Amino acid sequence: MELKHITSDITGEEMYCGTHPSGLGIYLIPKKGYSETYAIFGTRYGSVDSKFIVPGETEVTEVPDGIAHYLEHKMFDQPDGSNVFDKFAKYGGNANAFTSFNMTAYLFSATSNVEENLAALMDYVQSPYYTDETVQKEQGIIGQEIKMYDDSGNWKLFFNLLNCLYKNHPVKKEIAGTVESISRITPEYLYKCYNTFYNLSNMSVVVVGGFNVNSVLDVIEKGVKKNEPFTEKIKKIYEDEPDEIAKPYAEQSLSVASPLFMIGFKDTDTGYGGEKLLKKYIEVSILLKMLFGRSSRLYNELYESGLINNTFQTDYTVQPSYAYSAIEGESRDSKAVYEAVKNEIESVKREGLSEDDFNRIKKVMWGQYIRSHNDVEDYAGTFMQFLFMGADYFNYHDAYAKVTFDDVKRRFENHFVTERSALSVINPV
Amino acid sequence: MDSLKVNDNINLYYVPMTKLKTTSIGVYIHRPLTEEEVSKNALLPYVMKRGCALCPESGSVFRYLENLYGAGLGSGVFKRGGDHIINFMAETICDEYATNGETLAADCMRLLMSMLFEPSSFDGVTVAQEKKNALDRITAEINDKRQYAQLRCSEEMCEGDSFALSCLGTKEGVEAITADILKEHYDKIITSSLIDIYVCGSADIDALASLVKEYTKDMTFTAAEIPRSELISGRGDVKRVTDNMDVVQGKLSMGFCTGTAADSADYVKLMVMNSVYGGGAHSKLFNNVREKLSLCYYASSSLVRNKGIMFVNAGIEFQNFDKAYNEILAQLEAVKNGDISELEFESSKSALINQIEAYKDNQTTMQFYLLGERIAGTNYGIDEIKDMINKVTLDDVKEAAAKIKLDTVYFLTGKGE
Repeated sequence: MELKHITSDITGEEMYCGTHPSGLGIYLIPKKGYSETYAIFGTRYGSVDSKFIVPGETEVTEVPDGIAHYLEHKMFDQPDGSNVFDKFAKYGGNANAFTSFNMTAYLFSATSNVEENLAALMDYVQSPYYTDETVQKEQGIIGQEIKMYDDSGNWKLFFNLLNCLYKNHPVKKEIAGTVESISRITPEYLYKCYNTFYNLSNMSVVVVGGFNVNSVLDVIEKGVKKNEPFTEKIKKIYEDEPDEIAKPYAEQSLSVASPLFMIGFKDTDTGYGGEKLLKKYIEVSILLKMLFGRSSRLYNELYESGLINNTFQTDYTVQPSYAYSAIEGESRDSKAVYEAVKNEIESVKREGLSEDDFNRIKKVMWGQYIRSHNDVEDYAGTFMQFLFMGADYFNYHDAYAKVTFDDVKRRFENHFVTERSALSVINPV
Repeated sequence: MDSLKVNDNINLYYVPMTKLKTTSIGVYIHRPLTEEEVSKNALLPYVMKRGCALCPESGSVFRYLENLYGAGLGSGVFKRGGDHIINFMAETICDEYATNGETLAADCMRLLMSMLFEPSSFDGVTVAQEKKNALDRITAEINDKRQYAQLRCSEEMCEGDSFALSCLGTKEGVEAITADILKEHYDKIITSSLIDIYVCGSADIDALASLVKEYTKDMTFTAAEIPRSELISGRGDVKRVTDNMDVVQGKLSMGFCTGTAADSADYVKLMVMNSVYGGGAHSKLFNNVREKLSLCYYASSSLVRNKGIMFVNAGIEFQNFDKAYNEILAQLEAVKNGDISELEFESSKSALINQIEAYKDNQTTMQFYLLGERIAGTNYGIDEIKDMINKVTLDDVKEAAAKIKLDTVYFLTGKGE
């Protein structure tokens, strides 16, 4: 098949992309002089997708929570009993996989034998094999993984915040599920999910690094197994989420050294992807740095008063069906930090945002984008994440150039609403 | 790599990595790891970062960096054997991506030099704030239970050796520091320590060298060397320590003496041995303790090169302690006996080579690699060490494994256990 060749004068990068007749999206980003190649084969399927309608069916399918992650673990069992890791190990590839709220991805990095490693990746992700026995065996390992998260202050801090912000959206549920929910997982459920979400028309492969485009494309084309692409979309069902938050505060005690806090702002301007979403992402990211970044008035006041330390950071998470920004750190008085954040928002509402700050921080966003090209893993991961939201990270500049000071002022009014904020705290036992 | 000697103490190294879109500058000040100065060293970079002649207060430091398209600036301390290293890192996008023709790498170097040689932040208020943060960092070591268990194991294993000290210092040590004491320490060490500066990326290295010279031309330095490291050789019997804490999952950390020196020609054999044993998803620990017996979510081994230590870490159910412990030792015996398949052996070498080759694409890991080679005194290039790994035989791995002895067993378990 022929791929489209796209270049960027601004970054000096190039990309080859296209859709295979099987429905698989292919994105190849070769980088001159790189030793490493990173390939990621992912599906638009994550922990939030436990309720859906399979294309062609009319009834809603509901499966136990944690199944996307469970399925990811079970992909490593092969019909012939072989170990997937052995195949990569033989060719010096470093293989891994992960499941997030909205995507499951299988990946490897390698500095040699890229074709062999890629063939192994294409093969095992298209070879589901689940039996009662192998499914049973995994409960021990995943049970340990769930327990590991139970002891993690940062993990609990995060999920407690999501449970404050969201009443219904499944983003509030643990990615790995619970010991109870995973005990209900059967091979039948796994096959049902696999046959739905691992249809190649719901998947893409992204390769970034020092590889040969023609031979990599050849391996992908040969590696595609028989697949009937869906002609309609998989209907994912999320319950209606109101604008209001579930509760403003949560706290828990765990064996952590210092109290941890996380403040969240629920974004209610959702329901879309594409360039509009990428532009919103840039706007909110700029605002978080203007208001709470290292050069901000608030950061320096809180730091100097000893209420925060340099673990203080901000982040904006965005998906078409939900989005929130988070401000987190360590503090002996989390409630005072939360009050200061709310007060700062009120003061900025009165005094207005500074255009100088905006111009300076907008440059920071450009630096961040340029920097993101360095690491093949980060770049491929970010590229795929935006791809699955219908946005083009390769041409980030198109959205970036459109962001104006007025846009950011409007976004500020819309996003930083204190009634839609919440505080999560983890206290030491 | 180009190497420029600024004076007897300061070396500047340039590694061109022009395929990347950034330039990184790392400053490494070598100090001996001792109880007397560990806490002062640990506090120092955080205070120095707060203000200098070029940017007198924190807000102006951050605005300066933001104007350089969000250049990064980090500081901290770490240890490599008996070497306690004070570190500053700056990173910026390359000048060609600056839309207004700025000279970003030079501006980053200028800030680093001003922080190193013209700090202006040794006042009581700033030092008190950073002392509090330094104490928080020490208390926070408990947060990551996986790392904490290894830290405790290391502390018990190295009792009586300076390596038992945390690179962050001690609470008592930090509390005793005043602004005057810290300033005095700074004055003492800034001209009497070896300072290595690595620049990776695209830069006019002569222009950067001139900048460093300009800042140091009127200073008098006294010659210094890299602090020495002694191997931990063990006390013969196995030390067993258990801590109880409010946790859901137990953490097992086992410390072994490797008997192989950092600069020994045998070290590469030990690297391959560690890779076979517990160095990733291809290893014996991963495939047996985790996959075959489903005993844990993680099980791996790692080396502390300059102290001759290998750690094994695993997260397990409290009641599975014996099973996991026995299996970890059984797998070590298997390596000692050469019970290693062709696939295991080749995968272990490929994994190592793959990892080392990838340093060429990452400026931070490249700096740490070169610094590690310098501290060990071997100065192997990346291609050189890859060749050496390729030549390691199965017998070499057996030989390296034969010298390994269990020394300390640490278990972090639940309150009621």
